[in-house]
Amino acid sequence: MAGYILKRLVSAIPVLLGISIIVFLIMAMIPGDPATAILGSYATPENVEKLNRDLGLDKPLVQRYFIWLGNMLQGDFGRSFSLNRPVIDEVLERFNGTLILAGTSFVICSFLGVAAGVVSAARQYGLADKLITFVVLLGISIPSFFLGMMMILIFAVNLQWFPVSGMWPIYGDRDIAALISHLTLPALALATVATGVIARLSRSAMLEVLRQDFIRTARAKGVHERGVIWRHALRAAMVSIIPVLGIQAGFVLSGAVYIEIVFQWPGVGRMLVDAILTRDILLVQGGVVFVAACYVMFNIAVDVAQSLLDPRIKT
Amino acid sequence: MSFLRLLARNRLALAGLIVMVCVVVLALITPLLPLADPNVTSTGDRFQRPFSEGALLGTDHLGRDLLSRLLHGARLSLAVGFAAAVIAATLGAAVGIIAGFYGGRTDNIIMRGVDMLMAFPYILLALAIVAALGPGLLNALIAVAAVNIPFFARNIRGVTVGIAHKEFVDAARLSGMGDLRIIITEVLPNVIPVIVIAMSTTVGWMILETAGLSFLGLGSQPPVADLGSMLGEARSALITNPHTSIVPGAMILIIVMAINLLGDGVRDALDPRLKSGALNRPMPTTLVDRQGPVPQPQAGGALLSIEGLKTEFHVKNRHYKAVGGVTLSVRSGECLGIIGESGSGKSVTALSVMGLVASPPGVITGGAVHFEGQELVGAPYAQLRRLRGDRVAYIFQDPLATLHPLYTVGDQLIEAVQSHHATAKAEARAHAIDLLKSVRIPNAEKRIDSYPHEMSGGMRQRVGIAMALANDPDVIIADEPTTALDVTVQAQILSLLDDLRRDRGLAIVFITHDFGVVAQLCDRVAVMYAGRIVEEGPTDAILNAPSHPYTSRLMACVPELGGGRRELAAIPGMPPVVDRLPDGCAFADRCHKVRKACRRGEIDLVDNGPDRTVRCIDPEPVREAAQ
Repeated sequence: MAGYILKRLVSAIPVLLGISIIVFLIMAMIPGDPATAILGSYATPENVEKLNRDLGLDKPLVQRYFIWLGNMLQGDFGRSFSLNRPVIDEVLERFNGTLILAGTSFVICSFLGVAAGVVSAARQYGLADKLITFVVLLGISIPSFFLGMMMILIFAVNLQWFPVSGMWPIYGDRDIAALISHLTLPALALATVATGVIARLSRSAMLEVLRQDFIRTARAKGVHERGVIWRHALRAAMVSIIPVLGIQAGFVLSGAVYIEIVFQWPGVGRMLVDAILTRDILLVQGGVVFVAACYVMFNIAVDVAQSLLDPRIKT
Repeated sequence: MSFLRLLARNRLALAGLIVMVCVVVLALITPLLPLADPNVTSTGDRFQRPFSEGALLGTDHLGRDLLSRLLHGARLSLAVGFAAAVIAATLGAAVGIIAGFYGGRTDNIIMRGVDMLMAFPYILLALAIVAALGPGLLNALIAVAAVNIPFFARNIRGVTVGIAHKEFVDAARLSGMGDLRIIITEVLPNVIPVIVIAMSTTVGWMILETAGLSFLGLGSQPPVADLGSMLGEARSALITNPHTSIVPGAMILIIVMAINLLGDGVRDALDPRLKSGALNRPMPTTLVDRQGPVPQPQAGGALLSIEGLKTEFHVKNRHYKAVGGVTLSVRSGECLGIIGESGSGKSVTALSVMGLVASPPGVITGGAVHFEGQELVGAPYAQLRRLRGDRVAYIFQDPLATLHPLYTVGDQLIEAVQSHHATAKAEARAHAIDLLKSVRIPNAEKRIDSYPHEMSGGMRQRVGIAMALANDPDVIIADEPTTALDVTVQAQILSLLDDLRRDRGLAIVFITHDFGVVAQLCDRVAVMYAGRIVEEGPTDAILNAPSHPYTSRLMACVPELGGGRRELAAIPGMPPVVDRLPDGCAFADRCHKVRKACRRGEIDLVDNGPDRTVRCIDPEPVREAAQ
């Protein structure tokens, strides 16, 4: 097992390098130079040239990439000019917020989506199946940012069950109860689309598995239908559901950008959008590379979970 | 056109199509409609409610007419979404075709790059591109298109790889066509349907994505607004004037939902499995829709008896009569063989006993099954479940498919026990080891923790038998349990079953198409053809002197050891299709002694010597104790 994890970690290295190259190249395409962006259009040419030299922008592209990569490997992602603090500090602080939001959403959509898919498949063409299919269709069609706004309107403004926005109360204790009440609406809004997608795929994965011969064997053994569905069929269906969960984690992470904006959640997505609008390139670059790297690591964890589930995968 | 008909039959997809057509038409004629200028502000008329004078949907925070802005916004969102889909599809298809067509190193390098891009959560890439190009609708469009190129590239590559090795491509190459021409004239036409389907399923997604970037303020810039930026601008007035948010939000929802419905419909219409009902889940028990009276159990003290069993498969309007009135019985300690060609209905007969025929499409339409006097056809699920595996157990063919691949054989054996008897785990495990030993699996203490894929075919088959024996059943129904095995293993397993029958007084129903197996194991044999029994009787009698022409022709197909010079007589023709069985004898078309009378009316199963029956008006003469 340890060997397999190590192997997967090693195989992630070229992917991580590729990601850094792609991000670097995209950022290098930027028209105009960062120095002008920082100093403003009234800066003297001498000052611009000096800043470009200080920033190392006069060096060739390849050399610049390796300097940037070397610095990143030492934990130096540069300095955000709009916030005037190290990029890595800001990213780590914001990523914490995103992790809480997206992590909660991911747990919700995994459990809810798989459960809905299983029930839907077990009751194919029944009332529960039709109801779930309809809700799922609605869920995957509604833009998460619109859903979030409607949730604020209904549950925060009209019913006043939950706070309107933010991660913590402005006054009062920063305890777990406060966090949960702030987290509920955004986490649910964020989980909706992924829940729908996971429910759909779980349903078809279950239908596929339920036709297999070993399900007939389980029934011939006299296993109770509950056991047939949840123990036999779901276990086998998980083999094709887990990779979908890995992909959906990426979508949850992506959707977090919108939800963070709608709910004023202090996360990395909102930071990125603000950074784009202020053209704080180093912050964008650092944030994107960091989150993408975390996602790659998460997918390795998914692969490991898959190999634990399926003994046929050689570890 | 059958595709369009299928699509039209799906009412939801049709609804989606209608909504989509309406939205597209509205978007196209928007400039011609007598609407207010979407960008003219009028601060005096801010935030008018819907249905107010001169503004059907009200006005926004700058007093602009919401209806006009909505239609113009929808026009823009649709245009941008479609454009992004077309760009992504075109570029993605180009990349995919090149990778798939050239293969080798080119393929490797391109697909590595695609994998890299797919390692990003899509929005990070989109944000990075917008960050580099600057906010703006065109840049948002480029970002969304770029992010979706890998998806198309990967799909199209897969299809192209399949086509690139087809004969017609080789033929084109031999005729001296250039690569570009081959791609355009031979590959592209075959790939285009895939591209169109992939596009139709992703265009809703693209609309959502561009609207999302606009919502973040990174897409369309004021005063021009698509649906996303309308929603984004309205957000600050969400609490005081929710209608300014609801109007564009609901529009996005309607458009995306219509496209999703349509996309699902297209996908379903193109999926051949859906047409045949192959995506249906089998229910816990076979459906029973019994017409006619319920037959009484036969006299004679049979342990398990089947009376006039009819099982059909209902696929659309067709009724395939897999089992057309079968009557059989088996006593304790007896082994009954059922023999016949593939598709003769022998497996379906066996599965019908415990309601294990997959349904839909299977339906038991008549007859009865009695076990110790209990009627099983139409019995409640709970009663069937209690008997399954406990009193009546099955052994199936191909144990690689019939054992659960993700549980150890021990877990599966323990489950078989615990499904019927509250047994402590340790005790059940000890019992499982005993079971494995009883089917002569060496090193049972170790093998119990193996997964099915770690065992050989013979070992797996023994596990299947051990599982059937787990609760010491009264009847075992073995459905071709030795067909997949080589002869030596087959002989071992047959002698194992024979011992068990003698030691435990098991009744065995043994389904096979192998006369050798029947001769070795069975006391009596029933020959099935086209869902009915054509001959039944003691094994020796039938093997020595078959009465039904089908039985004798079937036996003539069996090669004999050392009988190299005998001609193997394959039966000409094919078994009839069981949804339109001919009148009279089903074997008539293939029979060498067919007469007119054979094709007229029902032919009954009649007595034919001691303990024998045959369904033929001109049976071969029975020679008592021939040879």
